[in-house]
Amino acid sequence: MRPRALVWLALTSLRADRRNALVNGAAACTGAAALTLFVALGLGVGGAARRMFPADARLVEVVPPTVSLGGLLGGGRLDDAALERLRELPAVEHAWPRLMLRVPLAIPRPPKGLDAQWPPGMTLQVPAVGVAPGLVAGDLGPGRRFDDVGAGEAVPVMLSRRLLEIYDKTFAPAWGVPRLPAGFVPLGLEVPVRIGFSIVPGKTEATVTESRVRLVGLSDRVPIYTMALPIDTVRRLHAEYGKEDLGYTQVTIVARSAAEVPGLVASVRRMGFSVDESERAAAERVGTIVAVSTGALVSLAVLMCALAALAIAQSLSASVRGRTREIAVLQAVGASPGVVRAMVLVQGALVGVSGGVAGALLARLAALGADRLTARLLPDFPFRPDTFFAFPPWLFLLGVALPAAAAVLGALAPASTAASVDPARTLS
Amino acid sequence: MIRLAGVEKSFHDGEREIPILRGVDLEVRPGEMVAIVGPSGSGKSTLLYVAGALDRDFRGEVEIAGTSLAGLSPAAAAALRNRAVGFVFQAFNLLDGLTALENVMLPGILRPGGESIASVRSRAGEALEGVGLASRATARPARLSGGERQRVAIARALLARPSVLLADEPTGNLDAVTGEAIIDQFRELARGGLSVLVVTHEERVSRAAGRVLRLEQGRLA
Repeated sequence: MRPRALVWLALTSLRADRRNALVNGAAACTGAAALTLFVALGLGVGGAARRMFPADARLVEVVPPTVSLGGLLGGGRLDDAALERLRELPAVEHAWPRLMLRVPLAIPRPPKGLDAQWPPGMTLQVPAVGVAPGLVAGDLGPGRRFDDVGAGEAVPVMLSRRLLEIYDKTFAPAWGVPRLPAGFVPLGLEVPVRIGFSIVPGKTEATVTESRVRLVGLSDRVPIYTMALPIDTVRRLHAEYGKEDLGYTQVTIVARSAAEVPGLVASVRRMGFSVDESERAAAERVGTIVAVSTGALVSLAVLMCALAALAIAQSLSASVRGRTREIAVLQAVGASPGVVRAMVLVQGALVGVSGGVAGALLARLAALGADRLTARLLPDFPFRPDTFFAFPPWLFLLGVALPAAAAVLGALAPASTAASVDPARTLS
Repeated sequence: MIRLAGVEKSFHDGEREIPILRGVDLEVRPGEMVAIVGPSGSGKSTLLYVAGALDRDFRGEVEIAGTSLAGLSPAAAAALRNRAVGFVFQAFNLLDGLTALENVMLPGILRPGGESIASVRSRAGEALEGVGLASRATARPARLSGGERQRVAIARALLARPSVLLADEPTGNLDAVTGEAIIDQFRELARGGLSVLVVTHEERVSRAAGRVLRLEQGRLA
């Protein structure tokens, strides 16, 4: 028997029993819609959380200990010797030092051409940190360099990618300045700075130097409210302003793999240093919350698919029991038990696939509706995603395949019952 | 051709074995119409189902169109029924959810390694035309009269061009005029070379048969 003939037979059977077919299709549709919507929600919210907390699972932030026994245990100060020891740990791929700029730095006026939007008399005090160029090398703008250019030149700086989002959603509306166009990165933008100047009384250095900073890239490895300078520039400024060498503020270790991080953290602690896990912990907490909620919703959806399979099994069983005479007639005109079994299974599959397709489309529509509603009801806060759902192509396939598989599973027992109909006894 | 030799069949009522067929020998040659008569419960329908490979739980030998049923798998028996046997029932046994045309198409659809659906549809249309029901092709059985339903059942039985036609009380639910027309059709089919075996308790049917056999106490006489 040709597959198309089998499908014809199953379709005519479904049409003849369309009420049951519709009920079964609705069950499969509900399961598919729930599964697709919940997984899409989990993926969407997970993606938004990752944009908000872009933690790299391989990064370990080493900081000096809060309480140090210093030289006794070899810990304490994060200097070049400590950096070398950290680099020699077996799981370390890179170790990049960071050095907080202890010379005050302020932005007294806006970049050229943006004067109209700058609140009169405002000076921005900007915390700055020196970072090793290697740490942010992957995030540099095309053709840009991030190293010390010496006095008199515009200092290359990098900002946190998230800072632009906060500027767009918080500062720009508050100050009445224009937002940045979507996807626009103002690379090359030069901003005047005063090195040595502080808005805090008594904190301004004896010498204040007028200079400029030039944006050369955005990086998630730059702390959110900080401006990153080349570490050599920070060293130069500390020397110029006579700042004592207190060692590095922080060392960022890149582990060879995420799996080696726990062991690495333990080694670092044994060396007498602390590990700043605040960013990672926040990201992990959010990730866990998203994963647990998504898991719970997906479990619920899988349960709904299982219930749909049970409903389909029951409904098809009732249908088979009510159609034993028809099945016997089919056998009389040449249907083998195998064909009868296949016909019921194909019926289940057709119901599952059509219900699955309808459910997946319904989920897409529901997501569009939910996004429109949230766009209208929720304020435009930083990192608010345009959509709370993500629909990768595989999700549509999963949304169709799982209810279809559930429907076929549900059809197994009725198919077996149908195949065991005794035509002679039934037709007698 | 149908050939039964020493066919025995019993039913079980708990521990008790009730013999229905006791060594039945029968041969229906191509072009012959044979009627089996007998009282109700004498096993006429059972004999018909055994002869049509629908009931394979028996002792003895049965051969349909040159194929012995001995050792035939369920799938092979189904293929044999599809290829060589046409059934006509007293209750018509049309599928209510399908149209007249779709009912007639069934044997063609179920043909192992069969033809295309379009070709089956076309042949089913011709078969309906052959029984004078071309205009009723899209009607559901519920909308057809008893005579029309039986003609649809005959068209279905003949679609696969079988060599054997088995009919179980084919005029039992029909009025006299329609019944006569159906009997004439059977006679015509036998003349055309089919082996026709009819189970009936109606005299008008048995009169039309070339040979009438009586089934009594499980034996043919």
